[in-house]
Amino acid sequence: MISPLTDPIRHWWEYYRQRPFWRLVQLFLARIFRGGGDSDTEGLDLGIGLALTLLAMPGGFVSLLLLDKYGTFAQWLRGITNVDVLQAAVPDEYFFIVLAMTVTGAAAVWRWDAIFPDRRDYMNLVPLPISTRTIFLANLVAILFLAALVAVDVNATSCLLFPAVVAATQLKFLFFVKFAAVHALGVVLASLFSFLAVFSMLGLLMALLPPRALRRVSAYVRGLVVIYLVTLLCTTFAIPNLLRHVKGPAPGWTFLLPSCWFLSLCQVLRGRASPALMELARLALPGIAALTIVGLTTYAIGYQRHFIRIPEIAETTKTVPEPRRSRLGALAQRFLLRTPFRKGCFPFIWRTLFRSETHRLVLTAIGGLGLVLASQALMNAFAEAKSLHQAALSPDALSIPFIFTFLLIIGLRIVFEIPVELRSNWIFQLMLDRDRQECQSLAKKVILTSVMPLVLTIAFPAYVYLEGVRAAALHTLLVGVWSVLLTNIVLIRFRKVPFTCTLPVFKQHSIVILLSVCFGYLLYALSTPEFESSALAEPLRMIGFVPVAAVAWFIPHHLDKNTIDIERKLIFEESATRSIELLRLSE
Amino acid sequence: MLEAVHLTKRYASLPAVQDLSFSLRPGMVLGCLGPNGSGKSTTVKMLTGLLEPTRGVVQFDGHNIQDSLQAYRKRLGYVPEEAHLYPYLTGWEYLEMVGTLRGMASRALETKLDSLLELFSLHPHRHTSIGTYSKGMRQRILLIAAIMDNPDIFIFDEPLSGLDVASALIFKNLVQALGEQGKLVFYCSHVLEVVEKVCSDVLILRKGEVIAQDSVANIGQILGQSLENTFLHLVNDVDTVRVARDIVEVMKAA
Repeated sequence: MISPLTDPIRHWWEYYRQRPFWRLVQLFLARIFRGGGDSDTEGLDLGIGLALTLLAMPGGFVSLLLLDKYGTFAQWLRGITNVDVLQAAVPDEYFFIVLAMTVTGAAAVWRWDAIFPDRRDYMNLVPLPISTRTIFLANLVAILFLAALVAVDVNATSCLLFPAVVAATQLKFLFFVKFAAVHALGVVLASLFSFLAVFSMLGLLMALLPPRALRRVSAYVRGLVVIYLVTLLCTTFAIPNLLRHVKGPAPGWTFLLPSCWFLSLCQVLRGRASPALMELARLALPGIAALTIVGLTTYAIGYQRHFIRIPEIAETTKTVPEPRRSRLGALAQRFLLRTPFRKGCFPFIWRTLFRSETHRLVLTAIGGLGLVLASQALMNAFAEAKSLHQAALSPDALSIPFIFTFLLIIGLRIVFEIPVELRSNWIFQLMLDRDRQECQSLAKKVILTSVMPLVLTIAFPAYVYLEGVRAAALHTLLVGVWSVLLTNIVLIRFRKVPFTCTLPVFKQHSIVILLSVCFGYLLYALSTPEFESSALAEPLRMIGFVPVAAVAWFIPHHLDKNTIDIERKLIFEESATRSIELLRLSE
Repeated sequence: MLEAVHLTKRYASLPAVQDLSFSLRPGMVLGCLGPNGSGKSTTVKMLTGLLEPTRGVVQFDGHNIQDSLQAYRKRLGYVPEEAHLYPYLTGWEYLEMVGTLRGMASRALETKLDSLLELFSLHPHRHTSIGTYSKGMRQRILLIAAIMDNPDIFIFDEPLSGLDVASALIFKNLVQALGEQGKLVFYCSHVLEVVEKVCSDVLILRKGEVIAQDSVANIGQILGQSLENTFLHLVNDVDTVRVARDIVEVMKAA
């Protein structure tokens, strides 16, 4: 029944997809997913299927977690009856809009280098009998298709699950349909807006800057976009509540948050908008239209300026200043890095962290999250305190260095897993002794040399100024010891040179690790400052931390001691375990 | 002396190298020839210890290299087939890292690097990131990395790829000089003329097996032909003239 209808479409598609233009579109789509840029990087080369699955996952997870909030039984147990579901769904809807914008924006930033055709495309495509206009249009179609695909993919699960969860208490199916349609429109438009914003920004930079400046500036712009997206994500806890209390016209700050426009659009479509929300909703569609026009125009100008002129533009030569040997550096090397392995790999790790775009971006995102959480803590500290002295000793203020060190340690541990130029790690394979494992201590040194200077140069002087030497010394000591203990924990059974293994696949225990990180954050960055705040008033109470520290030291130490020899060996590739292993007894 | 004793390597059940035996004495420059898929790269990886043989051993001075791999690698200089380097490091940083990993003293390393970079005409580009280097420049970086610690064994896998004429000539003379100094050189290449010129002995592989091993002079004498013709005669995989003719026919076809 269906095949007579689908067969002609399939034949038509088979015919057209072999035409040069569509082959080009496929090529550009593949390069956007599989990575672009002029380097042969294979760092985070996720397949199309895996990339789409990962993008779709957050929406699905969050929707399922909301079952507890909207379930009638759970509400009955809490004694909640006659809930206005549409009102209750506003904060969650805002969250999904922000999530859609963040995930789509992050995906666009991630593939920033691959969105526009580059030198490699020029070298491969321009000598062929294809006009540059065809290349331009094919890439444009690929970008637009990608924007639509990502917007739909990111929101697909939440568009079904979230309305289903919200409508679970409603008897009418029409409620579900209406709610789902409005929600889908809001989140998909938000996603498109986010993608187009990144696309327009890139186009604008290409249209305005010469190639060398573009390369230099784009790294910073990407970092800023990532920080903005993280900040946007962090607004989810406060904005819906603030919007609810707005009386009269929309306040100025709401115009800077496009997420508010799309939430307002949803509320307008449901007939539940206040005058302020109606005002904001009017920005949503013109905003998308404006970004589309800006994006397309700047893309065309950027294409003309950069792609067509690639042969005229000399390849940028990135020169770094001649390294200077400082006495302090030599001394540090002598005491901290005693073996050739450590001496050789330590600078390699730092250079990768600073120069690899992927690693920098991930660290920037984590730094941005730290900045948001720390400013929130600082605001809370001042909101509840009567004086600067009181604010400085509040758990919120004390938590700031804990927040930063926690995120930095976890962030570096994550970043160590992201591979860089895997084919180049032959040099380590050739040089390093697999049985003599020094990776753990090397990684520990890298982490602590990034954490400790921050603690000593910012937290310590700040507290000396605010609270005196004793409080500053105790606080710094606690943060320092906690950092060392956390570093020990995150590096349990770490046995690879950072960046030299393939990205670990998603395993069953990944969720456990994720939950452990959240729990660890609560213990490390929230509970410790709570206790510390009271202990600083009576320093003897600091002794209470000793048993906790002893346990935190003992666990990784014990686990490492009981690791069998084969699990201590240095590894370079971490391929997934096969379901069937051949014994090869005959060989 | 470096010896390959009955080396066999299988990937799953497919044999890449079968029962390969040869020895490399000090002063000997052994060229390794073979068509694509003949097992050259696998042999090189086993000789460097990057790959463990399925059967057989690689011995250096009578000891299995797998028993003391680090000590062996300290005496090994290796130039891989493809110049995979970290593009965001500068030439100097990369070489400094390799030298440090080899355990070279930092002052001696710096002096040596300066001189070698100068000799290989890379000194002006030493603080430029490798990502912007040409293929030849990357190849020169690999050559410096292989020779800078003055190892005793050299394994070169297509070392001339991408090198300009002057650098290639320097390298050919360097290989001969290394041989004269009593170093052990294993030289893998597709370029028969180079093997003929720089190698004292030659090993010809086909489908993972040794089909000929002798001095360059003797191999030619046996058949009374040049190395190129001898190679083609021994490998005997394709009739090159016929294939070229067939290609032209296919090109002309509608």
